[in-house]
Amino acid sequence: MQWRHKDLLDLDTLTAEEIRHIIKTAQPMKEILSRPMKKLPTLRGKNVVLLFYESSTRTRTSFETAAKILGADTTNFSVAVSSVNKGESLLDTAKTLQAMNVDLVIVRHSSSGAAEFLANVLEAGVINGGDGQHAHPTQALLDFYTLQEKLGGFEGKKIVIVGDILHSRVARSNVLGLKKLGADVTLVGPPTLLPDEMKYLGVKLSYDLDKELPGADAVMALRLQLERQQSGLFPSIREYSKLYGLSLERLKKTGKKTIVMHPGPMNRGVEIMSDLADSVQSVIEEQVTNGVAVRMALIYLLIGGGTGNVVD
Amino acid sequence: MEGIPKNRIMDEDGIRRAISRISHEIVEKNKGTKDLLLIGIRTRGVPLAERIQKRIAEFEKVTLPLGLLDITLYRDDLSTIDVQPVLHETRVPFSIEGKTVILVDDVLFTGRTARAALDALIDLGRPQKIQLAVLIDRGHRELPIRADYVGKNVPTSRREIVSVCLQETDGRDEVLLLEKKS
Amino acid sequence: MWWIKKALVLDPAQGYTGERDVLVKDGFILKVGNFLEEDVPEFFGQENLEGVKIVEAAGKYLFPGLIDVHVHLREPGQEDKEDIRSGSRAAVRGGFTSVLAMANTKPVIDQRALVEFVRLQGERAGMARVYPVAAVTKGFQGQELVEMMDIREGGAVAFSDDGLGIQNAEIMRLAFEYAKLTGCPIISHCEDENLAARGVMRRGEASARLGLKGIPASAESVMVARDVLLAGEAGGKLHIAHVSTKESVMIIRTAKKLGIDVTAEVNPHHLLFSDQDVGLTRTDLKVNPPLPTKEDQEALLEGLLDGTIDMLATDHAPHTWEEKAKPFPEAPFGINSLETALAVVWQELVEKGKLPALKVIELWSRNPAQRFNLPGGTLETGSPADLVLFDPAYKERITAESMESKAQNTPFLGQELQGFPVMTWVGGKLVMADRKVICN
Repeated sequence: MQWRHKDLLDLDTLTAEEIRHIIKTAQPMKEILSRPMKKLPTLRGKNVVLLFYESSTRTRTSFETAAKILGADTTNFSVAVSSVNKGESLLDTAKTLQAMNVDLVIVRHSSSGAAEFLANVLEAGVINGGDGQHAHPTQALLDFYTLQEKLGGFEGKKIVIVGDILHSRVARSNVLGLKKLGADVTLVGPPTLLPDEMKYLGVKLSYDLDKELPGADAVMALRLQLERQQSGLFPSIREYSKLYGLSLERLKKTGKKTIVMHPGPMNRGVEIMSDLADSVQSVIEEQVTNGVAVRMALIYLLIGGGTGNVVD
Repeated sequence: MEGIPKNRIMDEDGIRRAISRISHEIVEKNKGTKDLLLIGIRTRGVPLAERIQKRIAEFEKVTLPLGLLDITLYRDDLSTIDVQPVLHETRVPFSIEGKTVILVDDVLFTGRTARAALDALIDLGRPQKIQLAVLIDRGHRELPIRADYVGKNVPTSRREIVSVCLQETDGRDEVLLLEKKS
Repeated sequence: MWWIKKALVLDPAQGYTGERDVLVKDGFILKVGNFLEEDVPEFFGQENLEGVKIVEAAGKYLFPGLIDVHVHLREPGQEDKEDIRSGSRAAVRGGFTSVLAMANTKPVIDQRALVEFVRLQGERAGMARVYPVAAVTKGFQGQELVEMMDIREGGAVAFSDDGLGIQNAEIMRLAFEYAKLTGCPIISHCEDENLAARGVMRRGEASARLGLKGIPASAESVMVARDVLLAGEAGGKLHIAHVSTKESVMIIRTAKKLGIDVTAEVNPHHLLFSDQDVGLTRTDLKVNPPLPTKEDQEALLEGLLDGTIDMLATDHAPHTWEEKAKPFPEAPFGINSLETALAVVWQELVEKGKLPALKVIELWSRNPAQRFNLPGGTLETGSPADLVLFDPAYKERITAESMESKAQNTPFLGQELQGFPVMTWVGGKLVMADRKVICN
């Protein structure tokens, strides 16, 4: 298995084999995270730019940690202190980065397609750290890593994803990848957050969480953007939580030792109750650790040498 | 590694004898097995280290701890090679602090792999001593590195390839000298 | 004076197609028919013969110049995208001899002086006839009506807040009522802003897949329904711009049956591209109303064929390269159309048998002339010699260098199309020949 991509933009372009290769590469990376001395010479002299147009402490920190452990230098190009506020276009920012000869750009942007846009302009590799409502491939891949570790595989496993599916790039990327890996995915949410058009994903859609829980091997809660209540997408947080909030009690309906996941940050008491979030069934903290390992793997795969086999 | 076979440097018995001699030398040089650890460099250093571990256990009745080292992330040629190496796990489930580490590899050539392995080891802790055991030393060093234990010295030209085959990885035990295809 | 020989004449006003000679004198159509060589000097008058230029037109179509009731020429205020000179040059190169220039400029065309400026800039350019469309409400605020009568005196032929939908139904109703004084139609940009909710493409599986905010079809259709009801109640003239949903077609069909004075246009891009063609970096296909579904396209074509939809119009909307070189959600809406619209309609609809050639000329010349009370749209004796000679075999690659428009935001950039105008006359004056605009 040889890595052939210059960029990681979404899961549409990855094969199941490639996803497994990423997971496999992340395993040795996780060993490195457990060492007292977490620093490698691998990417010495490589420059990784973190271009974050949306505030995100966890994802940015995760990428930064991953890049630094691999020995790369990181540069934060964050909105508040950059020329972005002076109205510089993404195109000009890209040209500036190109002129600085950076090796890898990690971008998060509120516009769907921003990562692909950058990748088309830049010679450097691009990792999509989340673009609009389109894709969040590294979150999905760390979820797959966690599922692989906990469930031992994907074939025939029942994964329930519950919450604001419509606005979730995490859900989109997860479903695309999980389908390729052979998992059985069900999406759950209220009709306003799980409209009919989501059937393009080709998985089961349901409005009734309690009906879908039996047999679930993993349940993933999505973060609810509380401000969506003001746009009328759901009547109240109280009702949402009553219908779709995950609790220890509710999870018993699976009839299994189901694991619970959340991409974070959590709204405790809304989409997930504290009793569950802090229980042994919760793998939420491990997701964070695995996130660093998976991002190390991706950074290594993209800029860790082997120039002869990149095709796109 | 593709090449045209020229001759056989070692057969199954030759390999067995060399391992046996190296095992004795390790114990002799270190005056016993106290604080000794074996670490095999992936890929073929690992079965060789296992064989040394087994041999020492036979005559010393002590099973030395054994670790696996993947040096990919420490290579100095990552940005120039054509094909990216696949990453494997490093598994050293014990502390190397203050110990004597016997690094085991199949072939000592330019010394760059050994250099990478030394860096990788030092990142895991501060051993008292590091010694290097190899099945074949074929010369052409590019770094000031030498082996403490050598199965066989084989003078080679740069146009030649030394191919070590082991039962565990290749299904047979032998060492071949090949001529590179031009 | 021109003697255009043996052209395949398409004249929907007189309902014929066939090989004929067309004679032009003093800027008007002198005669159309099959003439004997020796008879022609008499028609022009023997003393004028030296000034008669002959065009051998065998194998090429000749039709009344196209009238595009929906273009954005960006002047005044956004001359980096387009100006009236470049836009009207692009028009004649694309086969359009008259265009209706929308009012969403900076400032908005909401008073007589501005209307006259647009008209005069058109005259100065001396290319296609440029007819100003004035705003319905002052400053496009959707609150107070403009001085419609004064503005009509200044040369406006219609009123429209195109670019924005008028959200307040009572203002729209008043506009229909008051506009009766002028006899001019109100062109409605039907878009409910709450439903559209700053979406960037048609809402559906394609928008869900791309993670782009969707605009539901209802954002257009509910306003079409509202406006036909209001126009019916007030008794005004309504023209619906850029119809793009099957529901809108159905409503317009019903309204026409009820006798409501409504006409409608469809843009070629809505017939040729669907939401399935949109991609995250295809800002060239970002347009408002957004690209519809295949089902909508079928309904639109059916509407054109059965008379529910009266005309084709480009909604020519030039934007600079830098403005479109952005992530999809941030790029502006609009497709640059004047120089490619006829070619693609011909290549994709006429040649493929979906729309008869004569029907295209009816939709793009005769019907617009009648609805907006403009000269042209016919080859009758005495009508202005706004003519297009069209070569269905002419192939051309669309390039930035060859385009007259200042902007190149067309999805056909770099592509070869077949079927182009090779000569264009406005008022008997040759303004384009061999695909090049003629400067005086």
